[in-house]
This record gives sequence, C-alpha cells and structure tokens, in this order.
Amino acid sequence: MLKTALRNVFAHKLRLLTTGLAVMLGVAFTTGTLVFTDTMGKTFDDLFASVYENTDAVVRAEAAFEDPSGFGDQRGRVDASLVDSVAAVDGVASAQGNTTGYAQIVDKDGEPLGNPEFGAPVFGGNWDEDEATNPFTIAAGRAPAADGEAVIDRQSATDAGFEPGDRATVLVQGGPIEVTVTGIVTFGSADSPGGASVVLFPLETAQRLVGEPGMFDEIAVVAEDGISQEEIAQRVEAGLPDGVEAVTGATVTEETQDAINNGLSFINTFLLVFAVIALLVGAFIIFNTFFITVAQRTRENALLRALGATKRQVLMAVLVEALAVGLVASAVGVAAGLAVAAGLKVLLDAFGISLPAGGIVVTSSTIVTGLVAGVVVTLVAAISPARKAGKVPPVAAMRDVAVSSTGYGSKQRVIVGLVILLAGVGALLYGLFGNVDNALPVVGLGALITLFAVTVLGRTVSLPLSRVISWPLARLRGITGGLASENAKRNPKRTAATASALMIGVGLVAFITIFASSFKASVDATVSETFTGDVIVTGPGAFGSGGLDPEVADRIADLPEVDEVGAIRGGFAEIDGDAQDVLGIDNALFDLFDVGVVSGSPDDLDATSIAVHEDVADDKGLGIGDTVPVVFRTTGAQELTVRLVYSEQQPAGDWVFPMEAWEANNAEQYDFQVFVKAADGVGPAAAAAAIEDVTVDYPGAKVLDQSEYVAEQTGFVDQILGLIYALLALAIVIALLGIGNTLALSIIERTRELGVLRAVGMTRTQLRSTIRWESVVIALQGTVLGLVVGVFFGWALVEAMADEGLNTLDIPYTTLAVVVVLAAIAGIVAAVLPARRAAKLDVLRAIVSE
Amino acid sequence: MTATEQVPVATRAAGTLDAVKIYGQGTTEVRALDGVTVSFQTARFTAIMGPSGSGKSTLLHCVAGLDTLSSGQAFIGDTDLSELDDKALTILRREQVGFVFQAYNLVPTLTAYENIRLPMVLGGRKGDADWIDRVIDTVGLHDRLHHRPSELSGGQQQRVAVARALASRPQIIFADEPTGNLDSRAGGEILDFMRLAVHDLGQTIVMVTHDPGAASYAERIVFLADGRIVDEMHQPTAERVLDRMKRFGG
Repeated sequence: MLKTALRNVFAHKLRLLTTGLAVMLGVAFTTGTLVFTDTMGKTFDDLFASVYENTDAVVRAEAAFEDPSGFGDQRGRVDASLVDSVAAVDGVASAQGNTTGYAQIVDKDGEPLGNPEFGAPVFGGNWDEDEATNPFTIAAGRAPAADGEAVIDRQSATDAGFEPGDRATVLVQGGPIEVTVTGIVTFGSADSPGGASVVLFPLETAQRLVGEPGMFDEIAVVAEDGISQEEIAQRVEAGLPDGVEAVTGATVTEETQDAINNGLSFINTFLLVFAVIALLVGAFIIFNTFFITVAQRTRENALLRALGATKRQVLMAVLVEALAVGLVASAVGVAAGLAVAAGLKVLLDAFGISLPAGGIVVTSSTIVTGLVAGVVVTLVAAISPARKAGKVPPVAAMRDVAVSSTGYGSKQRVIVGLVILLAGVGALLYGLFGNVDNALPVVGLGALITLFAVTVLGRTVSLPLSRVISWPLARLRGITGGLASENAKRNPKRTAATASALMIGVGLVAFITIFASSFKASVDATVSETFTGDVIVTGPGAFGSGGLDPEVADRIADLPEVDEVGAIRGGFAEIDGDAQDVLGIDNALFDLFDVGVVSGSPDDLDATSIAVHEDVADDKGLGIGDTVPVVFRTTGAQELTVRLVYSEQQPAGDWVFPMEAWEANNAEQYDFQVFVKAADGVGPAAAAAAIEDVTVDYPGAKVLDQSEYVAEQTGFVDQILGLIYALLALAIVIALLGIGNTLALSIIERTRELGVLRAVGMTRTQLRSTIRWESVVIALQGTVLGLVVGVFFGWALVEAMADEGLNTLDIPYTTLAVVVVLAAIAGIVAAVLPARRAAKLDVLRAIVSE
Repeated sequence: MTATEQVPVATRAAGTLDAVKIYGQGTTEVRALDGVTVSFQTARFTAIMGPSGSGKSTLLHCVAGLDTLSSGQAFIGDTDLSELDDKALTILRREQVGFVFQAYNLVPTLTAYENIRLPMVLGGRKGDADWIDRVIDTVGLHDRLHHRPSELSGGQQQRVAVARALASRPQIIFADEPTGNLDSRAGGEILDFMRLAVHDLGQTIVMVTHDPGAASYAERIVFLADGRIVDEMHQPTAERVLDRMKRFGG
C-alpha cells in the first residue's frame, strides 16, 4: 500500500507541485519569519555585546520605571563628580562618564537624516577617549577635540555625503547647531550600530547638547587585571550614594539584549500571524485537492478494496500520500525560507522600518518548526478526505460512479453551521461590547469561529451566490459565460471550499482596510471637531526623543499674524503604577482645543498638578484636589494634584501634565507639536507663511494646515496598511493557486465533456474563455464572502473601540470595489494554466478516453 | 484492392483520397489506414463495418476532422481538411458536421434543448427555428426539452444527440457506434430516427458499427480490414451482412 500511495504522488507531478506549493509557501513564510527575527536578534545581541565588550562594570541611576514600549528601563542620570570617586576605588583601572541623547544630523538638503519614528534611533553622545571602552573607531579624519567639532558614523556620512572637514547642521537641545565633521567613525566593522545615525562630540559639549551639564547617563568602569566583573561591581557599589547602582558589564549587555529582543518579539509575532494565515489557507487547498482526487480515484480505491485492502489501508494510503507531499513541500519551504528572510528585510525596509542585518541565523528549532508545521497542516487537512477514501465500498469498482457529487449541504449541516455562526458572532460581540476583562482572546476566538461557520455554510451559500454572481455572465458572455456559470454551480461543495481559501485573505484585507480608513476618518473628525486653531507645526525626531526647540513656539507667538500658540511635549512617566506615554501641554492649548472640561479649570493648573480624563478619574475614584503618585525619569517619585477633569479622549489621552509640571520634572525640553491660531483677520495661509519664515531656521519643522496635519498623523497607517497588504498578498496568492488547482482537477474530470464540446464546434478560444469565467465566478464568490465577513469584523471593531477615539465608521467603497475588480482579474490569472491545458486537449483522445 | 463506386464530385458529401494513417514508428508502426479512397454520397446512409483494429473508427475520425491523416486527403464537401488549422477545423465541424458518439454525448450542465442548439450557439447563430422544431418532432422529445441529461434515459440522451447532430443541418453526420450502449429496443429507435433523417429530411449519415443489425439500417455498407476497403454491399439486410461476415471470418 505504501508503494501505491507513493506512486500516486509521483504519477501526478503537476498536482504535487500545486498542492505542494500551497504548503511550501506557508512553510517558507514561517521559516523566513523565524530566520529573520533570529538574525535580527543575533545582530542586536552582537551589537550590544561589543558595546560593553571591555566594560567590567557600569555605574548608573537605579531604574525609575520600565519603558512603556518595552525597550528597557527608564532611569535618570548620575552626577559627574562620581567619576572621580569611582576611579579612586581600589581595583578600578579607569572610569569614564558617558552621556547619550537625542541628536539628529541634517543632510545637505536641509532634511534630518533617519526615520526614528519607525527605524533605527538617531542619537548623539560623547566621544569616549578611552580606547578600551569606546566601541567606535575612527575610519577617516580625526576625533573631535573642541567645541564645534563632531564625528559621525560612516552610514550617515555616506547617506548625506559628508566628508571630514565638511560643515554640518545637527539638531540638539537648544535648536540646530553647526559643527565641523572632523572624522567618520565605524562601529567595529559595521558602518553604524544597527543602522542608527550617530554624532559624537567632545565630552562637555555632549553633556550640554544631548544630556545635562554636570551629569552622566552612566559611568563605564574598567577593572585592573585579575579582578572579576562581580568583584569590581561590588567594590564600586559600596561607595555609591542612594539611587545609584553598579552592575557588571555582562549584566548590562544582557539587559539591553533582553530589552531589544523583547521589543523585537512584537515584529516576530506580527509576522507569524501572517505565516499562520498562509498555512491556514494552504490547509484549505490541501483539503480540497485531496477531496477531489479521492473522489476521482473512487474506482481505483474500490478496486483495491475488492482485491482485499482494508479500509484502514486505503485510508492510510491517502495519509501517506499527504505525508509525502507535506514532507517534500515543507523541506523545500524551509530552504525557501532563507530567501523569504532576506525578502522580509527588503519588505520592511520598503515600508520605512529598517533593521540591521547580520549573517543569516538558522537554528535547528527553526527548521524543526517549519517542517512540523508543514507536515502537520498537510496531514490534518488530509484526514477527512482520507476517511472518505476508506469508506468507498468494494462494489464501487464495478459500478460507474458519478464523480461530481453535488452537495448543497444537508439540513443538519445548515443547522449546525448556523449554530456555530451564532456562537462565533455571539462571542465576537460579547468580547467587543460585553465589558470583558481580557477581550482580545474572546474577540479573536469569536472571529475564528465565525470564519469557520462561514466555511461550514459555504456549500449551502455557494449555489445562490454563484447564481447571483454569474447572472450577468450568461447574458453578457453568451454560451461561454453560461457554461462557465453552470460549471461553477455544478459542485457547490468544491466551489465553496475553493472560494473559502480566498475568502480568508479578502476578509482580512477588507477588515484592515475598513479599520484603517475608520481610524483616519476618526482622527480627521476629532481634529476638525476639537481643534479650533489654524496651523500646526510638527518637529523632527520621534515621540519622546527630540522635536522642536521651545524657542520655535516663542518666536511664533511673537508674530503679529498669530493670536495664540500652544505646544505639546511627549515623553514617558509612571502614573499611579502604570508606565505610559504622556503629554505635557501649554495652558494656551485649552483655548485651541475643546477638551470638554468636566470639573476644575485649566487656569488652576500649575507645576504640581495634573489633569485626568473623566473615565480614568471615575475608575480610580479621583476628584479635584486628590493627589496622584507619578514617577519621572529625571526627578523620580512625585505627588501631583488633580486640578482638571476632562471628557475628550483626543488629543490628550488619559492623563495630561500642565507644561509647568512637565518642565519641572523633565531634563530635555522638546516640543512635539505646536498648535497655532491665526490672529483675527489673518487667514490660515497668511499665518502659515509667516510661521514658515520662522521655521526655515529649524530643519525638520513642518508647517501644516488641518488636513495636512491629519494626513501626517495618519501617514503611518498607510505605511502599515501597505505592509499588511503585502503580507496578506501571500495568503491570496496561495488561494489563487487553489483556484487554479481545482480548475485543473475539474478539467481532468470533464475531459470527455470538453471533447464533446470541441467536437461539436467549440473553439479553443471559447473553451479557454469558459474556464476563465468559471474561475472568475469562484474568485468573486470568495471575494464576496470575504467582504461580508471583513465588513462585519471591521464594523464590530470600530463600534467596540468607539470609546478609544475610533468614533467614525468609514467603509471605503472605492477601495473595496477595487478589491472586487482585482479578485476578478486574479481569477483570470489563476485560470491561465488550466485553461491552456484544457485548450490543448486532443479532441479525439478526450472523446474516446474511458 | 479498392472497390469504390465512381460518384460525381458534386454529390459527394465527404470522402478520402488514398488516405493513410500511421501510428507509432519503426518496429511499432501500425498502418491504421492503408490507402483508403472512399466517397460518401449526399442524402445517403452509409455504414462502415469491420473487425476491431480494421481502421473503421480511424477513418471516421479523419473524415470528420477530429484526427489528421499521415498522407492522402480527406474532404468534407470540396474542402480539403489537411489545409485547415485547428480553428478552421473547429468552425467546419460546428457548421458542416454533426456527431453522435457511443456515449457521453451531452454536456451535463445544459438542458436537452440547450444541447441541441449548442453548435449553433457556439457559432453565434440562431439556426432555423422551423427546422429545429421539425427535428425535435421527429425524435419525439418535446416533453423532455428542459430536462438535463442526468434526468433522461440512455435512449433519450442518444435521441437528443441525434437531434443535436441534425439541428444545424450539417453537410454530413458521423455516428460512432451510436447504439453501442443501448438496449436493442432503444437502439432500434435511434436507428429508425437516423434512417428517417436520411429519407425524409435529406441528411447524409456515415455510421461506424460492428453490429450487423445496426448496419442493415444503412443503404450501403463499406467493409474495412487491416486499413483497407475490402468489400461493399448495397441495400443490405442483417442476414446478408452476417453471411458476409462469416465468409470473411470477421
């Protein structure tokens, strides 16, 4: 039986290829994701291992709180005077104070280098004079020696075309400055540490520009020979003041690696979701292919049974065939995964998320995961067809069994399907609206069950749906259209299973599209409803790192064309035990935005107060005059008093600091955005023009009107949307392979019929057209189901997130119409090979074949 | 040894001239047709008989434009089929040739009526409605027109196939063992219809069969053996055919 099964696999190479391809793509994507993230992780591990390679201990402030984005702890700085006392500790060979902070190089066109919001960071620091602890090496020119001098990394130098001796603008605290680039540095052998853009100044300059004068972020300690890291850390720790700690170099390396990997695991999960989707769609294809081939081989299997094969043997033969397909496809998929890993990097790069790449890392667990995933998916998908094969009675060998079983779905099936559908939709809605504590798993499960129910009901829905979709076809395309629509209808079970694979991809595309579109519409609505000003100025850098010098806002406020100016600053703080992104805002902003004052007054806000959203206030039982514990990176634990409760989620969020409190508790002062209201009688355009005269001195500052601002704020949505489309494309390609496969198998079944058609006068062109249109009907069926499911999911999510500011449901009909058109075209493409094959059919052989 | 009736070209519906069909090559070479020259007259019912492997089906396929000759010529009317490409052949089949096969003649997704009109619809033609009506009358299918093949008996399906072959008023109809899958009663009905089509409607039919009873419905029988025409019989009866077959051991 094993031989029979394997012979079957190799006797049908084309089928093996297409079925295998469905598995292979999913496995390749899974493996590619794992290789990619492993490679990234390894790259960062190496990076940070070399940063602290020769550092035996690090002196630093104790962690104030954890970074909300999961990339590491937030801590304050230590006094520069500690360097001397640490250096004096017995066994310390040297101690070097270091500081890092926001600094962004401006290229020769006046554009800040890098994309810190999505890509590698941009930062500045001090040039470490101690060669042992300095991970950078001069590649050209010389080290910075005086104020007004700096070195930059080779990648930035190459990108912006800087050479030693050039003048360059750098954005730092206090606004842009001019420096002379005295040298170009490399990071070990790499052009840049992990793609980051780096500018290094002499020590005191660095403290002033990117850190705090008289302060260091950390002190790197080198021990004398023969003293262990633990030993020196302990000795140094003994003499440190409260709130300062000494840890070994190894500990810091490990912490940093963990933090980065923790942050990167999000990317891993994100990509794996799409890999799982691809595998799921692949499973549909396998299921369908095996079901069709098992039906086609009814006679063969019956003959085996008649000759004495047991049910189990026939069943096992199908499973062995599946195992062979799964193994071969998975093995190829794992190999292809290496190419996918490289492709993923290019893809993420294309969408502005640049990550460093080192040598490809392929672990044995990656290979095992890829193989197991592929084989298990194939086997599970083949179980039901295999059982069907086993049930073939021996007598079927003597009978002429009709291959195409029409299956509209039994009444029980419909009832079961509806019950499942109700359960799925119920779970989904309960998760979204039922005030569940941890809603996400409930919602996800509900969505999965709903999808499953739709597949169960697919064959029942398929017939009426085909009828509707192909209604115009018979009228517009005559006999070829008519035959195509009849063919799509003749086996609803098969059509439905084929369409279901496409439904998943299209459903997700529709869902994501609606979500993104609603998000944009919501931001637009919120801004236009709450912002009463005219112009917004945004800065360079990323949230919480860099931005506009506060001087920009002051200069704008001095303009006669301007009535009122309010800035916001962004950063991180721990409020009542929760680390989070927070904003500090000018009091003037309360005039420019309608925040919906519930109690208290913006006028009462001062350096010791905080404003809170009414929902959070209700949750925590806070009222005006109550105090809230807050931890800042710079000033540590503070108690702030609630002076204002507001009702609008946008733009403030849960908590807002008045600017005075912000300035009192944060070392760096960068405006994230500046909102401007034009003076009476001055139009927004005139005000913007006047503001641009100021911002021309500040590279990276953008002057935007309301709609430009909304576009800027939601620009990342399009970026991520593009990335998700690209990733979902895989699932859709696999589904299209499935359509092609089903058609090819159907053609084999219909050989005789096609022969008759050709004999009585159907031209090759007409035959191809018939198959193409059948493909289009199947593709559109999957698309329509996908759209229904996707629109429902999108609607549900938007409804559920209404409280989080997603207040506008926007269904982008044009985009969805484009999806339908694309699906039809994809259907045509999927049919190319099967149609060609059918047209090549030898008429005579088709008719006489038994 | 060829025995052919000298028929004026004008009344020839189809025919071959020194037709040779070779399958395989070298030691496996098989000459399925070995220099066959034959004419099928208009408005006549001709049967081709011969033992298995005699080349009777090959002859039919080649004359019908379903297969190509290795050498020699095949004609439908005055058209030399070897000069036509696939598309032209397809259109010729659609417009000038009708087919009845042993089984699986019909497209399962189309109704009986749609099957009958298929060659015309494929060609984008309306067809002659009166004629089609008459054909349907003749085969007696008026009450089953809107049924699908799966809802018809084997005999009924074959009648639909004959009606389809007749509907477009082709130059010639080729039937390949049209009664091979039917019981004798249904088979007799089909043969009656075919004879009726020739006598009353003026159609030309060429039928391949190995059944002497079926062959006796024809006006003329051409006997094939080893790819050559070995004999011919006019106004046959079943007894004469059987007798003829016994003599030749076929």
